[in-house]
Amino acid sequence: MPAFAVYAAFFLWPTWQMVRLSFFHWDGVTVGTGAGVENYTRMAADPLFATALTNTALWTAAAIVLPVIVGLGLAILLSRAPIFGTTLFRTLFFLPQVLSSVVVAVLWRWIYNPSFGALNTTLEALGLGFLAQGWLGSTSLALPALFLAWSWTHYGFVMVVFMAAIDDIDETYFDAAAVDGANMWQQIRHVLVPAIRGPMTTVVLITAIAAFQVFDLVYLLTNGGPARSTSVLAHFMFEAAFHFRKVGYGATLGVALMVMILAISLILIRVRRGFEEEAT
Amino acid sequence: MSGPRTLARSVSSTGLAGLLSLFAVVPLLWVLTTSLRTKPEILRNPLGLPTGLNWQNYSEAWTNGNFSQYFINSLVVVIPTVAGVLFLSLLAAYAFALYTFPMKRTLFIVLLFGMTVPVGILIIPLYYQMLGLGLLDSLWAIILPQLALGIPISTLLLRTFIAELPRDIVDAARLDGCGSMRLLWRVVFPLSRSALITLVILQFMWIWNQFLLPVVLIHDRSARTLPTALSAFLGRYGTDTHLLMAGAAISFLPVVIIFVIFQRQFIKGISAGALGSA
Repeated sequence: MPAFAVYAAFFLWPTWQMVRLSFFHWDGVTVGTGAGVENYTRMAADPLFATALTNTALWTAAAIVLPVIVGLGLAILLSRAPIFGTTLFRTLFFLPQVLSSVVVAVLWRWIYNPSFGALNTTLEALGLGFLAQGWLGSTSLALPALFLAWSWTHYGFVMVVFMAAIDDIDETYFDAAAVDGANMWQQIRHVLVPAIRGPMTTVVLITAIAAFQVFDLVYLLTNGGPARSTSVLAHFMFEAAFHFRKVGYGATLGVALMVMILAISLILIRVRRGFEEEAT
Repeated sequence: MSGPRTLARSVSSTGLAGLLSLFAVVPLLWVLTTSLRTKPEILRNPLGLPTGLNWQNYSEAWTNGNFSQYFINSLVVVIPTVAGVLFLSLLAAYAFALYTFPMKRTLFIVLLFGMTVPVGILIIPLYYQMLGLGLLDSLWAIILPQLALGIPISTLLLRTFIAELPRDIVDAARLDGCGSMRLLWRVVFPLSRSALITLVILQFMWIWNQFLLPVVLIHDRSARTLPTALSAFLGRYGTDTHLLMAGAAISFLPVVIIFVIFQRQFIKGISAGALGSA
């Protein structure tokens, strides 16, 4: 089948090459030398890998909270509250999701600009000028600042999936709860949230996978700095292979990243199957 | 519940939604307004509104900034890739949905594997593969991998769709002596139109916005696509905000317009992909 030929040539083949490369020392130009598992032992002991892994883990942990909650909140607002123009608002809220990462970087660089950025200007206007600072230049704030920009482009996905899930809930459950005297919060807690548990796992894990491989915004806005405070795994892999010319080591990082993402996906499939069995 | 109270709740909920949507919309509006201002205007007051409609920024970005070339490059990548992904996926999905063949299950699992591995992770081997093939700096270097990476998800969605088509139609066509290729083009293809449209839009958006592949695989300036051109612009013309914004608008307006026109299919596709039948 032609589809498989293309898929094999430009997906399976590079995957295999990456695994193979991870067992070599190679600068990308001269002949590589066999490395056995040296790249893997080196990775385990590498403090730069530890930093990137920690930042990635923090990012992923925050990603399954902030965009998911914002997206859920908006989905509830648009699906359950009596609103004029639901479709219009859904379109507006979803807009950031369709932008390329470069446009997002252009925007947030302006928002975070230390001298005339929208964020600092707004803080000053509110009399909170003492909070204004160079957001992307601070070792403690750059990572959260990047994460906020990333979240801005991801809650839209969460929102539309939850909206579809909420629309699938049988309206009589809400009516029954209302008859029993449940107020809006109780209806959300006891009817809506349990009913969308399955989609919620899916959303959480898809978001986690996206968070785990975050690259574009880091590359565009901070390049891992200042002082590696925004270094994440995908960016570290890129650096290792294309800046430090340690192609074998970069491939090793790629394999590690792939294994971790595969593990998250397997959990996704397992948990989702659990919900499906529970439902039937 | 009394009428006026319901109305009051509607108005306040709508007001809340409107207020919140500003966070999504205002940054984009700012790009558009700034793209119409002159450089001195922006330097005087970075956050202000345009005093006149300064369309020269667009023509300057388009011609001097070479955005016309980058725009065409993006189209040259997107159109054949989307068409190729859909053609190949339709063939594969058709086989998976309606036929049995040896190793069907194994092949399907191999395909599912492709959905879990994001393209960025393969960037190192892809770079050396393209180097070996002599395709670096050619648009082929970003077309081919994206063709491969679009296939798993598209095949999966189309397979589900085709498997759910009414069997009677398929069986009737077969009884009438319809060969397998004729069945595909005369019966399955027209019936799958809505799924195909959804996939066209999804794939268009992903490929149009793809950043990492061109950054690594294309260094030749004349072969840049819009996202990489814009990022180079971001670095080089740090102070020419007016041109940067015009460039940004050129790169995001096509996707935003397509999204707004097809938002129903697009959103349906996203939620079906996520909630799907996997």
